[in-house]
Amino acid sequence: MSDRLSSLRETIEKILPDVDGVIALRTGPGGIVAPYLFSKEHPGELAELALWPKEPVPDTLKIILRAHPDAKLAIVCRGCEERGIVEMFKHAQFSLENVTLIGLQCDQQEVESCQCFKPFTVHAKLTVGQPVEGVRDPLMAKVMAMSQPEKLAFWKEEFSHCIKCYGCRNICPQCFCNICALEDEKWVETGRLPMPNPSMYHMVRAMHMTAKCVGCHECEETCPADIPMAVQFRLIARDVKEMFNYEPGAVMDQKPPQLLVLEEGEYENTGLPH
Amino acid sequence: MYEPKIIGFLCNWCSYRGADTAGMARMKYPPNVKIIRVPCSGRISPELVLRTFREGADGVMVLGCHIGDCHYSTGNHRTAKRMPVLKKLLEYSGIESERLYINWVSAAEGEKFATVIKDFTEQISALPPFVETMK
Repeated sequence: MSDRLSSLRETIEKILPDVDGVIALRTGPGGIVAPYLFSKEHPGELAELALWPKEPVPDTLKIILRAHPDAKLAIVCRGCEERGIVEMFKHAQFSLENVTLIGLQCDQQEVESCQCFKPFTVHAKLTVGQPVEGVRDPLMAKVMAMSQPEKLAFWKEEFSHCIKCYGCRNICPQCFCNICALEDEKWVETGRLPMPNPSMYHMVRAMHMTAKCVGCHECEETCPADIPMAVQFRLIARDVKEMFNYEPGAVMDQKPPQLLVLEEGEYENTGLPH
Repeated sequence: MYEPKIIGFLCNWCSYRGADTAGMARMKYPPNVKIIRVPCSGRISPELVLRTFREGADGVMVLGCHIGDCHYSTGNHRTAKRMPVLKKLLEYSGIESERLYINWVSAAEGEKFATVIKDFTEQISALPPFVETMK
C-alpha cells in the first residue's frame, strides 16, 4: 500500500465518526474504481479505498447533497475536483456549510498523465500527500504557434470526428444548467453529422466554459473521439485571468465575472475601443 | 470583388438612433450592413453571433451605447465582458477575429456611425468570403 493511500485511510478513519459519510474512490467488484460513500457503519470497506483513476466526484457530492441537504459529509478531492466543487458552490449548486474537504495532492506521475497546471488543493484544511508543481499543457503552445489557417484546419479536423454524444457536457462538473443551450435547435441542429463549420456545439460550449472551466480534463478523458477541446478552454481561461483577474476555483469569495458589472480598470483590459 | 454580407446588431437607444442621425444628415456609407435592431447590445449572446456566422455572414458588428450611457444602466457591461472573450475564441478556432466588431455609437454620433460602417466594410472586403473558408 502506497504512503498516500495509507495516510488517506488514516485521515478518513479519523474524521469518519464525526460525519455521516466520506465520499472517496473505492475498488468495487471486478476491480472497477468508482466514487463511493464510506460510512461509520461499515468501516471495513476502507480496505477497498482507491486513489486512481480519478472520477468526477464533484457530481457525486452534488447528487448526495441534493437528496440530503443537511447531511454532514467529507469528500476526498484533488486540486481540480476542489476547484470544481468551489465553482459549483459559487453557482449555488449546493452549500458547503456541512462539507469537509480532504485535499489529495497528486503525485508527479498523475500530473504527467493529466498535464495538470495546478495539481494541488488550496482550500482544504486536511491534506494528504506532498504538493508538486503543475506543468504547462504542450498542446496549448502548439495551437498558439499555428497560423490562422492552420488553426482552422486543425479544429476542422478534430471536430469532424465528433459524434455529438454529449459526453463532454454530461461529465463536466460545471455543466449544471437545467436548460442546456446545446439542446436548443436554434443553436445546435439535431441529426446533422459531421457538424457544419463553424462547429456551434463546440464553440458555444467553449463560451459557456468561460470563467468556469477548472481544467480537470474530464471532457477529454471521456471523449470517444479524443478531441482536445479543453485546450480552447484553457486558452480562454488565460485571457479571462488577464482581463478580469479571475481564476476558477482559486478564491472562495470572489464572484465569477459574468455575474458582475465592469469594475474599475477592467474595461481597459478588454481591448475594446473608447 | 465580392460584396460582403455584414449583419449589424444595433441597440435601440443609442446606435440605432445614431444610424437615424446619419440617415437624416444624408451621409453616405456602404450598403453591405443589414441592420437588426435589438433592445440592448447586452442581448447579443455569443450564440447569436456564432449562428449569424454559420448562416453565412462575412462579418458581424455589435454597436451599443457608450459604457455608462446604457439605457438599462449596465446592459452594455455584458457586451463588454462577453464579446472580447468571443473574439479570442474566434482567434483560437482559426476564424479571423476581425470579423466580429464591437464599438459604441451614441444617438448623436451619426458621423461616427458612417465611418464605422465604412471602415468595417473595407476591413471585411479584404478577407475571403466566410463560407469559402469554412468548406
